[in-house]
Amino acid sequence: MNTPWTTESLYEALRSDKSVDLDGVELSLIGGVDAIVNITMHDHGDLAMHMAVSGEQIFVSSPLCLATQVKDRAAFNEACLRLNPVNPLSNLGLQNVGGEDLYIVFGELSSRSPLPAVVEEIHALADNTIQAAEAFADHLK
Amino acid sequence: MAIWTKIITLFRGAAHEAGTAVVDANAMRILDQEVRDAQNALLRSRDDLAKIMAQRKIANDKLNDKKAKQAEYSNYIREALARDNRALAQEVATKLATIEADIATEGKIIGEFDNSIAKLQSSARQAETVITRLKQQIDTVKATESVQRAQAALAAQHAGTGAKLGTALDSLERIKQRQTERAAQLEVAEELAQATGEDADLQRRLAQAGIVPGESSAESILARFESPAPKALNHDGTPQLSQPGVASKTS
Repeated sequence: MNTPWTTESLYEALRSDKSVDLDGVELSLIGGVDAIVNITMHDHGDLAMHMAVSGEQIFVSSPLCLATQVKDRAAFNEACLRLNPVNPLSNLGLQNVGGEDLYIVFGELSSRSPLPAVVEEIHALADNTIQAAEAFADHLK
Repeated sequence: MAIWTKIITLFRGAAHEAGTAVVDANAMRILDQEVRDAQNALLRSRDDLAKIMAQRKIANDKLNDKKAKQAEYSNYIREALARDNRALAQEVATKLATIEADIATEGKIIGEFDNSIAKLQSSARQAETVITRLKQQIDTVKATESVQRAQAALAAQHAGTGAKLGTALDSLERIKQRQTERAAQLEVAEELAQATGEDADLQRRLAQAGIVPGESSAESILARFESPAPKALNHDGTPQLSQPGVASKTS
């Protein structure tokens, strides 16, 4: 079994491995006790995603919309639940961020995943988030 | 799973509170407690398992001793009967009867030990699974928390500026805007290309018609040498259009 990634080692690998396709993807490491990687997807309208590794898991998250941007919360929640099973590789979720409810699209991977799988997750998550934002246009203000 | 119920109850309770840090701290505390409980249960069942396996070994040793005795006494009986000492054979047979009863009892006890061992091993495996799953859950909560904190920090940065946290909606807007810009650029480029194309076409036709200077051809150069080098432009009204390229090469 290969050794699991940490947030730092994954960031270094993504930056130094020339074989990975990260065109239009800007990465920056925010250090600290719980380090995270900021990902800016320039080809996806500068979408700001975040990635963190903890133990056995890699968590990649992308902000879909604020609850305050939703017309009818109940209808939107149902639409999210219905979309979730057909959304490949990504999940929809709700989180409280700084006192404000934020709908997110997120993916989880094993921290022993090979680098190309992580890169694929980053691209898939950005695609899925933008597509979800488009699909939910009627629900949003 | 009971753990899910606990966490969901926590979220429900905290929905009235402002922050989420409370929820996360509680969730972590519960998960940590669950892992500790499961680990203790695992240690306990491993201890029990070790004790029972030791007891089984002792019982099995006893059984083997009895079986050796059984073989030994059987030989004695055969030997005594061969020498026609029936009384002695009878005496040994009485002892053998006790030994055989003991063997049956020991065998039953060992069977019970084996059952207990199987049960303990299966519960240890279950505890291990529970611990692995709980640890995964803790990892998820921790990773989610780090990301959530980072997003909260970003939101705080925006809070002062009056701008809201950037989401996919802003990105989508940006993508659409960039597409519109790109489309506009393409349109302008196309118009430009078309305009220069039209221009070039006109120039070409003018040159062909001999109205504007075209490319020097061998023919036009020869014509220049052969003609009596008129001082003025050929404005005598003679139509020269039948000889393209010649007319205006005189200046």
